[in-house]
Amino acid sequence: MSFFDSYDFTGESTAHLARLINNVNTGVWEYNTITKTAKWSKGFYAILGYQPGEIECSYQNFFENILYYQDKQPFLKATHYTGPAPAPVAQIRLLTKQQGYQWFESSVLKHDDDDGSFIYGVLNNINQYKIAEVKAAQADFRCGETGRIARLGGWDIDIASMTLNMSREVYNIFELYGDIKLSIEEAISFFEPAYRQTIAKAVDDAIKYCKPYDLEVQFKTAKNNIIWVRAKGIPVIDDFGRCVTVRGIFQDIDIIKRDGLSMQSSINLLDDKNKRLQNFAYIVSHNLRSHAGNLKFMVNLFEETKAEADKEEIFSHIKTISESLSATMGHLDEIVKIQSEIGKERKLVNFEAMFNNVMALLRTNIDAANVQITTDFDEVADINYIPAYLESIFQNLLTNAIKYKHPDRNPIINCYTRRDDNHIYLVFEDNGVGIDMKRYGDQLFGMYRTFHHNKDAKGIGLFITRNQVEALGGSIAVDSTVNVGTKFTVRLT
Amino acid sequence: MSAERKMVTACIIDDDDIFIYGFKKFMEIKGVFAEILNFSNGQEAIDYLKDPSYADKLPDVIFVDINMPVMDGWEFTHNFEELKSQMGKKVSLYAISSSVDVNDINRAKKNPVIEDYILKPISETYIADIINSYQPGLRNAN
Repeated sequence: MSFFDSYDFTGESTAHLARLINNVNTGVWEYNTITKTAKWSKGFYAILGYQPGEIECSYQNFFENILYYQDKQPFLKATHYTGPAPAPVAQIRLLTKQQGYQWFESSVLKHDDDDGSFIYGVLNNINQYKIAEVKAAQADFRCGETGRIARLGGWDIDIASMTLNMSREVYNIFELYGDIKLSIEEAISFFEPAYRQTIAKAVDDAIKYCKPYDLEVQFKTAKNNIIWVRAKGIPVIDDFGRCVTVRGIFQDIDIIKRDGLSMQSSINLLDDKNKRLQNFAYIVSHNLRSHAGNLKFMVNLFEETKAEADKEEIFSHIKTISESLSATMGHLDEIVKIQSEIGKERKLVNFEAMFNNVMALLRTNIDAANVQITTDFDEVADINYIPAYLESIFQNLLTNAIKYKHPDRNPIINCYTRRDDNHIYLVFEDNGVGIDMKRYGDQLFGMYRTFHHNKDAKGIGLFITRNQVEALGGSIAVDSTVNVGTKFTVRLT
Repeated sequence: MSAERKMVTACIIDDDDIFIYGFKKFMEIKGVFAEILNFSNGQEAIDYLKDPSYADKLPDVIFVDINMPVMDGWEFTHNFEELKSQMGKKVSLYAISSSVDVNDINRAKKNPVIEDYILKPISETYIADIINSYQPGLRNAN
C-alpha cells in the first residue's frame, strides 16, 4: 500500500517504518512507564554524536546527564501534557558528544498500549534555526534600542490600501501607547497647523509623483508636547514606475533643533552687532573725515587769503570746525559708554518717577514749545532696567518730539506702557511733522542721518536710543505719517 | 565780433556751509571765472533746475554731496537723470563726499550719470581744472 492511501502505518509496513526510524536523521525514543525502560533509535545516538550503544540508554541518563538542567521543566511539561492533542512541542538543549549543548525540538506522543503505558518522542536538531532566531532577536533588540536612543522610528504607507504602519518608536514619539491604529489624515493632524499643509503635500507628492521628501517640522504629541521632528519619506515603485509604498523615518530632533535655532539666533545677533560696528566705523570715519577735510581746507584758504576781513571769517569757521570735532568726540564717548554701561546692574526703575525727572530737565524746552504731555504708566509701573538708559531713552524721544513738532500746532505727546505675555513696551506718540517712512524708514535710526531741514538736527539721538535698547535685548519700531505724527514702540524686555 | 570769454556756471549742493564757503573762496583765489550757485540739499537744487524761469541760467557743471538731509545725493542723481533730457544744455554731474565706504564709491562709479567721485578733502586745483574745461570761450570765438 502506498503512503498516500492512508495516514496509518499498519501490518507489514511496521518493519519498513522501523527501518525508516533507524535511518532518518531524527532521534526517536520510546519509554515504558511501567517497566521504566527506554529505547533509542540509531538516529537518537547519531544526532547526539554517538554510535549506537556508546552511551547508556536510559531515561535516567537522558534526564540527568544529557538534558540541560534548566530545560527539565519545559520537557516534563510537554511530556506529561494531558490536554487535547496535539501535545505541545518543547525546545530543549541537549549535551552532544563534541559540540556542547545544542537546541532540539522535542515532540511527544503518549500511547496507552495493552502492554502498558508507552510514551514516544521525536527529537530534531534545530540548533541552526534557534541560533538564527537568537541572533535575529538580538539584532531586533539592538535595532529597537538604537531607535529608542536615537528617538527614531520607521513607518510605511501601503498605497493600495492607503494604510499607515508605524514602528513602536514612532508611537513613542507620538506619545501614543496601546494599540491605536492611525489613518494617514490622523497622523498628519499631529503636526502643528503651520506645517500641516507642507507635510500633507509632501506625502501627496510622494504618492502621486514619486517625489521623496525630508522635512524638519513642528509636531504636537498626544500629550500636547510641541517638539521638532524630522519626517523623511521615500517612495518605493513597482515595475511600471508607480508608487506602491512610501517608506520613511520619523525622528524626534527637538534638542538638536532647539540648540541649532538658539545657535542661529546667537549668530544673527552677532551678525547684527558686527554690521552695526562696521556701519559705526564708516560713519565715524566719514564724520571725522569731513571735519578734518574742512579743517585742512580752511587752513589752506587762510594761508592763501590776503584780505584781513576774509581771514577773520575763515578763522571763525575754523573755530566752528573745532567745536564740531569736540561734539563728534562727545558722540563717540556716548556710544562707547553704551557698551561699557551694559554690564551695570539693572535696577527697579519707576516709569513715572523717571519720566518726571526727564521732564524737569527739559522744562525750558517743553514750556517754550507749549508741549502738552499725557502719560499712563498704570499697565506697567516699574521695570528692571539700567536707569541711565531709560533716562536717555525718555530724553531722546522727548527732545525728538519737540524738535520735530508741527509748525501749525502745539505739540501733544502721549507716553504709556504696555505688557504682553513676554514683553514690556514703552509707547511714545506725538502729533509732529512725521516722517516719510517709505523714503527714510530704513535710515531713521542711522547715525548722523537727518531728514528735515532743521538746524538743530544732529542725527545722533535716535541712533543712541536704538543702541541702548538693542544692547539690552530690546527693539524699537516706528510708525509715522507725514503731517500727522509719529509713534515709537520700544520693546524694553 | 571780438572773442568774448563766457562765464561758466558751476553749482555746488552740500549741507555743509563751511564747505560751500571754502569752495567759493577758493574758486575766487584760483581765478576761476565762474558763477557759482549753491544749494543746501538735493531738493532745493531740483526745484531750481525744474523752474522754467531759470532755464537760461542752468549750470554747466554740478558738484553734489552724498549725505544730505531732505534729499541726498543719490536721490538727486536719480531726479537729475530724469530731468537731463528736458534741459536745454549739457550739464555734467560730479559727486563729492567724504565717505570712504566702498559701497558708496562703487555705486557712484557704476552710475554713468556721475562723471567722477571726488573724495573730500578736495584738491582745489582739480576742481578748478574741471570748471575751466567747461570754458567755452575758445570754441565760441567768431
